[in-house]
Amino acid sequence: MAILDPFGDRFGRVLAAVAVLVVVAGIATAGAFAADPSVATPDPVAYDDTVELGLSSETDELMAGSARVPRVQVFYSQLQYVVGYNGIESFVASVDDGRTERQFGYPLVVHVETFDGGNPGVTEDGLLEAERSTDWVPADEAAYVVGSTARSPAGETVVPFSERTNAETFAAEHGGHVRDWTAARNRSFDVDSAATVRSMAPARWAAADRRVADAEASAAERAGEVVVVGRDAPTIDATVAAAPPNGTVVVPSGTYEETVTVNESVTIAGDDARVRGDGNGSVVTVRAPNVTVSGLTVDGVGNETRDPEAARESAGGDAEEGWDTNVQLGYGHGDAGIRAIGAPGLLVDDVTVETNASGVLLREGSDAVIRDLRVDGSDDWRDGFMGVIGMESRVTITEGRFEGGRDGVYLHRADGSTIRNSTFVGNRYGTHLMYTGDALIADNRFRDAEFGGITVMTRPSGNAIVGNDVRDSSAGIQASGTRSYVGYNTLADNRLGFSTSSRGSLYEHNVAVDNEVGAHATTVVPSSRVVANDFVGNDRHAKAGAGALRIWADGDRGNHWEGADVGLHEPGERAYRPTAPVDAVLHHETAAAVVRESPGAVLLDRLHGTVPGARSGSIVDPSPAPEPYAPDRVAAAREPDPSPVHPEWRVESGLAGDDSTTASTDTMNTHDLNATDGTNVRNGMEARRPTERPRTSAEPEDRR
Amino acid sequence: MDAVGGTGRPGVMGGLGAVRGRVLVVATVFRRELATVLRTPGYGALAVGLLAVLGGVVAVGGGAATGFVPTVVDLLLVTEVVVPLVAFVIGYRALLTDAETGELAVIRTYPVSVAGYVVGIVLARGLAFLAIVVVPYATIGVAVWATAAPDTTIFATHSGIDSPLLYLRFLGLLVPFGAAYLSLATAVSAVASSRRGAVAVGVLVLVVAVLGGDLAILRSLATGTAPSTVPGLLPLTPNGAFRGLVFEGVVGVAFAPEGGFVDVGRAVGSLLVWTLGGVAVSSATLAYGDRLEVLLEGARARTAE
Repeated sequence: MAILDPFGDRFGRVLAAVAVLVVVAGIATAGAFAADPSVATPDPVAYDDTVELGLSSETDELMAGSARVPRVQVFYSQLQYVVGYNGIESFVASVDDGRTERQFGYPLVVHVETFDGGNPGVTEDGLLEAERSTDWVPADEAAYVVGSTARSPAGETVVPFSERTNAETFAAEHGGHVRDWTAARNRSFDVDSAATVRSMAPARWAAADRRVADAEASAAERAGEVVVVGRDAPTIDATVAAAPPNGTVVVPSGTYEETVTVNESVTIAGDDARVRGDGNGSVVTVRAPNVTVSGLTVDGVGNETRDPEAARESAGGDAEEGWDTNVQLGYGHGDAGIRAIGAPGLLVDDVTVETNASGVLLREGSDAVIRDLRVDGSDDWRDGFMGVIGMESRVTITEGRFEGGRDGVYLHRADGSTIRNSTFVGNRYGTHLMYTGDALIADNRFRDAEFGGITVMTRPSGNAIVGNDVRDSSAGIQASGTRSYVGYNTLADNRLGFSTSSRGSLYEHNVAVDNEVGAHATTVVPSSRVVANDFVGNDRHAKAGAGALRIWADGDRGNHWEGADVGLHEPGERAYRPTAPVDAVLHHETAAAVVRESPGAVLLDRLHGTVPGARSGSIVDPSPAPEPYAPDRVAAAREPDPSPVHPEWRVESGLAGDDSTTASTDTMNTHDLNATDGTNVRNGMEARRPTERPRTSAEPEDRR
Repeated sequence: MDAVGGTGRPGVMGGLGAVRGRVLVVATVFRRELATVLRTPGYGALAVGLLAVLGGVVAVGGGAATGFVPTVVDLLLVTEVVVPLVAFVIGYRALLTDAETGELAVIRTYPVSVAGYVVGIVLARGLAFLAIVVVPYATIGVAVWATAAPDTTIFATHSGIDSPLLYLRFLGLLVPFGAAYLSLATAVSAVASSRRGAVAVGVLVLVVAVLGGDLAILRSLATGTAPSTVPGLLPLTPNGAFRGLVFEGVVGVAFAPEGGFVDVGRAVGSLLVWTLGGVAVSSATLAYGDRLEVLLEGARARTAE
């Protein structure tokens, strides 16, 4: 008390010290008001360290050559992460959408990559190319060439220069006009979005119909001279070799112990016939275009699931490239019931394969239609391989059934493939896409998948995953990439319903029922739209990984969360935060409703959602829907099998050109590192590699 | 009151001496009041309790995990209620106790002016307010500064608009806001004739000031007042002025750099007027309250006849 005795001798000095402190604090406070924090100008960072939105920098077109997309990095006022955009257009399109400002605040500083000293030009394909980019400069100090002949894979592109004269030189050579930042910023650009993918899904379905019909028609057209196994030659192989071009090889009922090689266009028409290999290598090998294989059962496939030499051959060189080579050489060269190499126009119809390796293997442009294929794989996935493996081949699979084995369908660089109306039971992954974009995975049924029903790895774009029914699996849908459309899926009794790993994507009209976790928000910076999904009966409706607050709604349209309308408010009037401890248990803890009505909880509810970019690790739905969007599917998801739920997504208004939730914001993307296992935490070198990559050459993809 | 006795006879001194004399009077009253505050252990508990409340709010709100602006957002609503409350706790008996015990009458026998007495009391209570309120808030700020970090550092991060300066602004705004309520509380303590009365009047003033102004604005908007008048009307109450300034200078910086949330000059002026007004009412009550009472008593007597 001595020092604080107001009547003591030293009190004067204490008082003086306090006075000085107060004055100093006052001056500091005055200084705080005088300084303007909104004029801070952080320096540009290495682009690889930004959270990338917009067009992926890893499209094949860009990876292949010297083509470039001018990159932008943006420091938003509320967001702690530096955001990178591929293409000024992507940035402009995303800022033009009000949602960006709502989520991230306004751009404090924008840096653009310039090409003054990089000898910029235009490739033969019209893409912008440059040896290198020279410098990051503040956007308002750069000069921009607009309307030149240079394009990006996504369309029109604006080329920035730090010196106006260099811009003028470029414009003189390649057309266009030189503009300042304000003018470039105010242009509007037509950028593809996930909504585009959604609108294309029915067309892809129709295209698959057409491919099936065409394959049938062309097979019928080709059906020339008929030769019969046993009558014209003793074995199938010999009969095929002897058959005239476009002939039909009829295989009568019975078991044929042999392997078959098809080197010309024929139709092999089995009639309850079984082809039994010798347990070494593939059983039927097709090396000619326009071959039809139908009505066969194949067994006696070798046990080699992939080429053991591949890992050695691919060693050395760039890690990612090496891995890709490894997969292509390794996976593409294992044993299969039917193996097609450079065989476009293949039709596999009504075929059963019993195998401990692959069922049907397609590579080198073996665009194929596969209908009514049944593959019975190994009981333990570690012992078997893929039901269908397609590499650099566009595959159309319809009405298939894939039981056991590693992956039901594994596609690698098989853009534009369609997998539909098929059943997958007890695989590791039901359908597994690598480097495969613009695919349609629709109306399939997945059961008991060890790792997941549908998984899309690496960074493809434009995949549509629609109308699937995944149950009793580790995960329903884990799709990484960009601009994906994940809609109308039913996910029940899984450990995880779906993850929002794909950036700039649209997740709508999915039903997540009785999963351990309904949905998992994985990307660090939110860029996707999650709306009109139904979450019912999940242990936890949703979980969020590291990153800024996700707002799961589209305007005043949210998702349906069972339990969100418990309490003393109008249904839908109160924001729901599935990641908050109280909200998360509203649907199974009655008492949680009482806690939620406490003034403290109400107050905190009000605050959440303000400055979202600066908050972290959670999800909020500002306007939860009081009723499920698809009550019939929610009810059906709880009915016992066998009753796969396939909504009529092709006729529902949402997909018939209705643009109610279209969005230019769908151009926004985030890095989804490690997307499919839902953690986003990369460590060191793992950063930009595809998710599935080798740890050991012997077992290249057992990451879990 | 030996210290007061030492001031000599200010009445007969002139010019600079008179000013010095008045300052000494204020200093003496200030010192005495500070002694009262320091001997009230409850104030220490109040500061600790406030720190606990604020810590709880930011911990549950989660804003403190990422930066200063989210922290201020989390704290704003609580602050609007808690700071006036604490100001009233500190101030509601400031002038009442001396009046009740008769000490004021004794003090008035010395050459101590009412204004000097009130200013001394208010300054001491103000310092107490700074210690009890601003220190916990500053502690929260330091904690945020020490701990706030992005979720993940695998990407390049930056602080965006967020900055300790913004929190310092917030602390700076707490002072005039609290001062306005402290001064109001002092006025209540002067007007009230008993402790119970002071509590009752204090709660009434608190509720009216914290809620009333905003309700009035809502009401007037509902009845057709032009929305463009809001920036001018808002700062009329201390809460409106404070909230407006926090939006203008702290929170709004994150989403609307151009501001326009409140008429800044008017808001600052309003807080100043409330503060000075409270002091003036206190002084006037102490100086003329007795005469008023006589008048009132007389009026009552007449009506009773």
